[in-house]
Amino acid sequence: MRIPYRALVALLAVAVAGCAAVSKVDSGEALIRNRLVVQVANPWNQFERGLADDTPTWTHEGITVDALQFYVGVRDGALLAPTPSGRKGVEPLTFRASMQPADVMALLQSLLTRDGSSFSLDRLEATEFVGARGFRIEYSMVRKLDEVRLRGVAFGAIRNGELFLINYSAPRLAFFPKHAAEVEALARSAKVRS
Amino acid sequence: MKRRRLLAGACAQCAALASAGAWAQSPASAPWTAPARFLRPELTTDEGGLWSLMDREEGRLRRSPFLIRDAALRDYLQGIACKLAGAHCADVRVYPVRTPFFNASMAPNGMLQIWSGLLLRAENEAQLAAVLGHEIGHYLQRHTVDRLRDAKARAAFGTFLAAFGVVGLLGQMAALASAFAFTRDQEREADAIGLALMRDAGYDAREASKVWDNLRAEAAAAPGGDVALGSPMFATHPPSEERSQTLARLAAEGGPGGGVGEAEYAQKLAPIRFSLLEDEVKRGQYGESLVLLDRMIRRAPELSDQLYFRAEVRRLRDREGDLDVAIADLRQATALGNEPAQVHRSLGYIHQKRGQPAEASAEFARYIELAPDAPDAGLIRTYLLQGQS
Repeated sequence: MRIPYRALVALLAVAVAGCAAVSKVDSGEALIRNRLVVQVANPWNQFERGLADDTPTWTHEGITVDALQFYVGVRDGALLAPTPSGRKGVEPLTFRASMQPADVMALLQSLLTRDGSSFSLDRLEATEFVGARGFRIEYSMVRKLDEVRLRGVAFGAIRNGELFLINYSAPRLAFFPKHAAEVEALARSAKVRS
Repeated sequence: MKRRRLLAGACAQCAALASAGAWAQSPASAPWTAPARFLRPELTTDEGGLWSLMDREEGRLRRSPFLIRDAALRDYLQGIACKLAGAHCADVRVYPVRTPFFNASMAPNGMLQIWSGLLLRAENEAQLAAVLGHEIGHYLQRHTVDRLRDAKARAAFGTFLAAFGVVGLLGQMAALASAFAFTRDQEREADAIGLALMRDAGYDAREASKVWDNLRAEAAAAPGGDVALGSPMFATHPPSEERSQTLARLAAEGGPGGGVGEAEYAQKLAPIRFSLLEDEVKRGQYGESLVLLDRMIRRAPELSDQLYFRAEVRRLRDREGDLDVAIADLRQATALGNEPAQVHRSLGYIHQKRGQPAEASAEFARYIELAPDAPDAGLIRTYLLQGQS
């Protein structure tokens, strides 16, 4: 695997600029944004506000390697992720409660490719998530920044007009297979605290 | 090998003379002669270091998963670059890169990258030649080396090199490119040289201003309605009205004539056009994509896949009235025949959204019939089962 040097430099710069706080998530029950409860099998490192996108992000191997992101209770009209500063004339990634699973997938796809990365859908299927009719996405991508080939899996559902989405991606050869089952179990355990 | 070099040298002189002639015909410009082929600079010099760095990048680019590995297309693009570069043809190496933004860049060592967003947006060979001619103009005038020395003088060498690495985050690239943009004089010079190279290569130079007119129309449809920084190239090449007008004036001064190469360009792009359009829609930049697709459909209304993509953009945007227009496009695509299977999936989604389960099921069933192994077949089959229950 290529050492993601450029990714490291870029993300370090972001981390330093944003003073990203890292904390440990212990095994057991974890509460995210006071709404989403998941069962954690192994400890994770947590960036509570992500890297400049205000999205709780967990990692086992380091944030430039694998990332588990939580989009919790995104309301109608709210952004899935903020538009990067310095990018003018860019359509905002706005969630609408009327969206179908394929629309949410398109939104996620736009988020993941806005840096020029490539995205290809491997599988989209219905599944239950957070106690609602939801969907499961499997995808592959090549990150533009360092050309690392990634695999990803996302679980989502729109519940009472709010979007709940968990997205995990990691290099496809070693790290994705290593953690995929754990992420799958974590997603299956997800519940919304009312 | 020696004979090839000799021929290249002879061609160099011909091309230089031809370019100089064309340049002299333009009363607004000073005479210009294409330089002789560049020798590899000594490694101990700043320019030699830059070449070495670019050689390393080029090695990486050859292995890059973003490189479009379509030999026929690459040969075709290399041919266009060669026609423009004349004697420097042997030093120019073209790399089509899968990135859905309008951009092309040429490194001092002759590595010429063409992003797929530019390939999709050029309407013909002459328009692509206009952009490549401009980049080759920077190369021939060694503007990048000037930028390097300027950056060194400003103790900003590290940032300069970062800017010339592989294009990373687009926003970051735009900012860096902006910080180290060519000067306005260098841009004007590259524009004028690009036009001269176009004419020498037999292209209609009037196509050059259309490239920027089209980009401005797209930028106007982006949020904010202003010239956007959505493409990294905009940071260094603002598609201003003044620029279009200057290009149009210079082209007019050179007189009419020259080829456009629309049919051949469309033919060469055909094998990858669908995937380029998929990448375009994935960007989620609906306003820009609609302007682009409107333009493409006006030029080739018989292509059902373009109608599908325009409908898909509207379906995803879902503003008031969008779904009605999308249905009309999808019906038209079906009527034309050879429509992509996804046409029926889009119709299914729209009917589903409108609470028309029978119509939705019929379209979803047709989609599965045409594309049983599609990656989203699982979800669509669930919809079909739900429709039956």
